[in-house]
Amino acid sequence: MAELYVKPGNKERGWNDPPQFSYGLQTQAGGPRRSLLTKRVAAPQDGSPRVPASETSPGPPPMGPPPPSSKAPRSPPVGSGPASGVEPTSFPVESEAVMEDVLRPLEQALEDCRGHTRQVCDDISRRLALLQEQWAGGKLSIPVKKRMALLVQELSSHRWDAADDIHRSLMVDHVTEVSQWMVGVKRLIAEKRSLFSEEAANEEKSAATAEKNHTIPGFQQAS
Amino acid sequence: MATYLEFIQQNEERDGVRFSWNVWPSSRLEATRMVVPLACLLTPLKERPDLPPVQYEPVLCSRPTCKAVLNPLCQVDYRAKLWACNFCFQRNQFPPAYGGISEVNQPAELMPQFSTIEYVIQRGAQSPLIFLYVVDTCLEEDDLQALKESLQMSLSLLPPDALVGLITFGRMVQVHELSCEGISKSYVFRGTKDLTAKQIQDMLGLTKPAMPMQQARPAQPQEHPFASSRFLQPVHKIDMNLTDLLGELQRDPWPVTQGKRPLRSTGVALSIAVGLLEGTFPNTGARIMLFTGGPPTQGPGMVVGDELKIPIRSWHDIEKDNARFMKKATKHYEMLANRTAANGHCIDIYACALDQTGLLEMKCCANLTGGYMVMGDSFNTSLFKQTFQRIFTKDFNGDFRMAFGATLDVKTSRELKIAGAIGPCVSLNVKGPCVSENLGVGGTSQWKICGLDPTSTLGIYFEVVNQHNTPIPQGGRGAIQFVTHYQHSSTQRRIRVTTIARNWADVQSQLRHIEAAFDQEAAAVLMARLGVFRAESEEGPDVLRWLDRQLIRLCQKFGQYNKEDPTSFRLSDSFSLYPQFMFHLRRSPFLQVFNNSPDESSYYRHHFARQDLTQSLIMIQPILYSYSFHGPPEPVLLDSSSILADRILLMDTFFQIVIYLGETIAQWRKAGYQDMPEYENFKHLLQAPLDDAQEILQARFPMPRYINTEHGGSQARFLLSKVNPSQTHNNLYAWGQETGAPILTDDVSLQVFMDHLKKLAVSSAC
Repeated sequence: MAELYVKPGNKERGWNDPPQFSYGLQTQAGGPRRSLLTKRVAAPQDGSPRVPASETSPGPPPMGPPPPSSKAPRSPPVGSGPASGVEPTSFPVESEAVMEDVLRPLEQALEDCRGHTRQVCDDISRRLALLQEQWAGGKLSIPVKKRMALLVQELSSHRWDAADDIHRSLMVDHVTEVSQWMVGVKRLIAEKRSLFSEEAANEEKSAATAEKNHTIPGFQQAS
Repeated sequence: MATYLEFIQQNEERDGVRFSWNVWPSSRLEATRMVVPLACLLTPLKERPDLPPVQYEPVLCSRPTCKAVLNPLCQVDYRAKLWACNFCFQRNQFPPAYGGISEVNQPAELMPQFSTIEYVIQRGAQSPLIFLYVVDTCLEEDDLQALKESLQMSLSLLPPDALVGLITFGRMVQVHELSCEGISKSYVFRGTKDLTAKQIQDMLGLTKPAMPMQQARPAQPQEHPFASSRFLQPVHKIDMNLTDLLGELQRDPWPVTQGKRPLRSTGVALSIAVGLLEGTFPNTGARIMLFTGGPPTQGPGMVVGDELKIPIRSWHDIEKDNARFMKKATKHYEMLANRTAANGHCIDIYACALDQTGLLEMKCCANLTGGYMVMGDSFNTSLFKQTFQRIFTKDFNGDFRMAFGATLDVKTSRELKIAGAIGPCVSLNVKGPCVSENLGVGGTSQWKICGLDPTSTLGIYFEVVNQHNTPIPQGGRGAIQFVTHYQHSSTQRRIRVTTIARNWADVQSQLRHIEAAFDQEAAAVLMARLGVFRAESEEGPDVLRWLDRQLIRLCQKFGQYNKEDPTSFRLSDSFSLYPQFMFHLRRSPFLQVFNNSPDESSYYRHHFARQDLTQSLIMIQPILYSYSFHGPPEPVLLDSSSILADRILLMDTFFQIVIYLGETIAQWRKAGYQDMPEYENFKHLLQAPLDDAQEILQARFPMPRYINTEHGGSQARFLLSKVNPSQTHNNLYAWGQETGAPILTDDVSLQVFMDHLKKLAVSSAC
């Protein structure tokens, strides 16, 4: 779901700026990684530098092409992350996310939360309007729209953590596009979640009282 | 010695401890003759995914001057339900809850595999984490925009109940009152005048006025002690408003005339931040995060004036005593740092600018409190953005890796004393029976580390105090216990206890044993930390002389040689890498300030003084791997002879990842062979180091710089300056065949260094 890609760094502002990893790639890296490259070679005790047993180029180029692949290809040494340069936007088969499909459930969720403070709902509403404006105005990129559609799906299925994670991945990877309105979506997820757990708690309570009222006829309840 | 290497590794994995010596010399005199002190690197919160914390409190020794924690080294009488403390030999009664224990039903803390164990403290209120952003607004437009976006993004990464606050500064300092409704308000302070904590708290309305009418009743705090203040609100309440507030931040409006620097009141801004937290949330985990794009130019803590034609101090200026503001500014920040550490808070510094920002003067803020120091060229770079994101990385349990408010208490058996510690800590001045001379942060057996994470590592130095010819203590083992109380990021308070033991040995009769148990990697890092610590207060050449002296003495003691015959000199396997480490340490930016600004040196030293052993070694002697068609990637000597035309090199210095294409490889790439299907293996070859580099880049904090260069490229200098220059323009034709790339330098090579070392070691004159 989350995209895994690597972009180059900002070469204009930092000529040795490292590449930028997407949120998906960074969260993948949880836990202690094995330190692959930590071995050292001891300097020979007699002091002469070790001359490695490989060819050395005797003079100016060219010296012929590299060994062709007909030799048994040597596979890359370590199982590491996906190769850089995976394009995130090539999904020609899937149709683009439809704005209404995203906005309608969000508006609906907002309606459900109207019981809460007015200020908060107004704030969220304002941001949803901004989202709509930007979407309609073509200001949002395809990955953002795609992930918003996914977010809304998770929200509708009550998978709060997944929806939250998508919101985080959007904030990390596309902050420039989404920062103005995403916090409203974030709050909406939180409000829906708390509303849902409130309702679930109420249901449990009413179920418990219903049970309590089911006493065996003739049986005196100890006080 | 395969078995000792395994032993060392197992212990590090389990306990997060690496000792310079794993068999201990039994007398004080002999210990000093061993040159490298008995010391260890301790990673108090080493990640242990296999160690679930126990949900009860530790059992302590009842002797008030001891209070050691029950551990696997204690003798236990299961029938009488008594245990004997292995440090002070006090007999203690087990608490009632332990009534059911027996040989076959042991509590976890007595089992040997639980030499490291973590307890969760159940009682006490759990306070939320606090993040106070202190933001410089004297930035270029796109820099400020990038910083604003990063801060907005961080609100999505913070836990919902964390408290967050905002102070912005430029010429003035603004403390923003965070509220959910109405107009946003802020308190404005002049950036020129420092204020005391009390003044700040009064002006912000944090102190409750006296109530003369209600003298009968004591003043009750109106809110629960951990409720928020007007300036620090929970993320879940304030995120929308704070996002807007951040979005609306403007550049500092005071115009900057030609030839001038903007007036930046960093000193006062930090002072207000420290005072604000002091008055509202002392003694609970908090981070003050300072984001700055240039040097402080106004008020207390200013590092340079506002005239651009007067540059900020360089090492040359400092040596010539020509740094006008340095002493006073350093003093200001040291005072703030000490206060912050006393309050249990930490200060991070995120400095992004092309010129220096005053890290030299401000470094104590990060170093004493355990806060982070990040140095970049601009906030609009991946280096800053991703490093900043990584602060909020979660561990395997979904909790933040950062921890707060740690106190480390060290107990030793009688034959040892504690000399001091070097790392991101302050002393708690706890004198006691096991405290000795000052070394590093010494004179105490307890330290405070206000901000730490699973890689934070302290160097702890000991002294053997047993008198010469005293027989080896009964049982033959010495013990040390490390007890770390801390606030976990889930806000739980926890205690991590590590208890280790090592054998004593008589040096005269068991030198081979002691030698075999020498950990040259740990020793190198521990000596390096001592050297870097000295370099902060001593002259550079003196430190190098000291380091050289220790190396020569070590070689004299442990080398095998015939007197006056340098060619006969040999070191056993357990010492063979040590001289190399020292050689590279002498050339490193930690001890060589030439070619670095004072800020850069401070930055490098900051990270060196807190990283774990593996990363510290990478900093001392960078790793070099070679990729070629001749076989799988292999480590190669960090030497100019490793630079060959048909190889790709990957160098990791911790701060930089350098990929270097040899001349032939570069030409092949230019000719485009990687795009031809019949040369697919060349494509794989080019990709292999990129993949390995990516693994490192994905995990490291702080994010390293990434240099992809080739033979003849200007950026190849990063590689050329690090490798041992075995071949220079001076000795180019002495080797006969031209192998490797000559380095244009007058630096001494490892060969020359080793030759001198051997001559001095075997000489009876030394």
